[in-house]
Amino acid sequence: MSKQRVTRRQFLNYTLTGVGGFMAAGMLMPMVRFAVDPVLQHNAAGDYVVTDKKISEITAEPVRVDFTFEQKDAWYTSEVTNTAWVYKDENGEVIALSPICKHLGCTVDWNKDKANPEHFYCPCHGGLYTKDGTNVPGTPPAAPLDVYPFKEVDGYLALGKAEPRKEA
Amino acid sequence: MKWVANDIDMYLGAKEYVDTIVLPLFPISFGDDIKQTTSMTEFISLLSIQLERQFKGRILMLPGYTYIKNNPDNVLIDDIKRWEAEFQNQSFNHVFYLTSDSDWRTREESFEGSLIWLPSLPLESMDEKYRNSILEDQVQQLIHLFVKKWQNND
Repeated sequence: MSKQRVTRRQFLNYTLTGVGGFMAAGMLMPMVRFAVDPVLQHNAAGDYVVTDKKISEITAEPVRVDFTFEQKDAWYTSEVTNTAWVYKDENGEVIALSPICKHLGCTVDWNKDKANPEHFYCPCHGGLYTKDGTNVPGTPPAAPLDVYPFKEVDGYLALGKAEPRKEA
Repeated sequence: MKWVANDIDMYLGAKEYVDTIVLPLFPISFGDDIKQTTSMTEFISLLSIQLERQFKGRILMLPGYTYIKNNPDNVLIDDIKRWEAEFQNQSFNHVFYLTSDSDWRTREESFEGSLIWLPSLPLESMDEKYRNSILEDQVQQLIHLFVKKWQNND
């Protein structure tokens, strides 16, 4: 038998505090969870698609990088392949350009047109962009090529959603 | 541009830049060649998607002309001629027909547009990566054809 005797008053105090505490927690927890929910949402890494291109392999010469991701159109899920032109600029920074011509949306090609070497060339209406994606004045496009934000994931290049660039 | 509302809005705003129309020809048959016509249709429809992506700003890719494969030649030719008259009204300078059905090669002289005939490939037995690279190769071939045609007439 324990020598510490618990009085009836003490016993009731303990029980009431315990039960009250649980009830308060039961009410407060959902409120707190609702309040902090936006902070806990993870979205930063989710939108990036990892390509099979190693960052260390990227050179100063633009190369085509294809990457595939799942796109949801209402209830229909399909695999979409996107392309990026990737190279390192003179400071060693990775540049990933979207191949979609800003004029009417054809696909541009690097260094394909013999009359315009070292340029991105659009075969549809002769749109020209310099290596950094800036549109050449006098050709149809009115804006520079979109740029993909990128990340490094275990040495591989991961690309986000292409964003329009500010007027250069 | 595809035959969807968003692209057609774009087309209406940039009509002077879109001078090329592509009509894929899809054969249908329920006889012995049901499998062949299916794979022809499948191959051409996948190819037309890729091709449209490449040349979005200058071509209008129609949903395709579906026909019964053993219809007599004159019926099919008449139909194509009607399409062609419509295209000319809309001032498309370049008309392309895309098909895997080799019967069209004998009918080619009867109409003005260019027929692009590609033998269909058994895409259903390939895994996705390989299939995409095959289609990519085929589209690369077509790019030359289109660019050449455009350069000749510009």
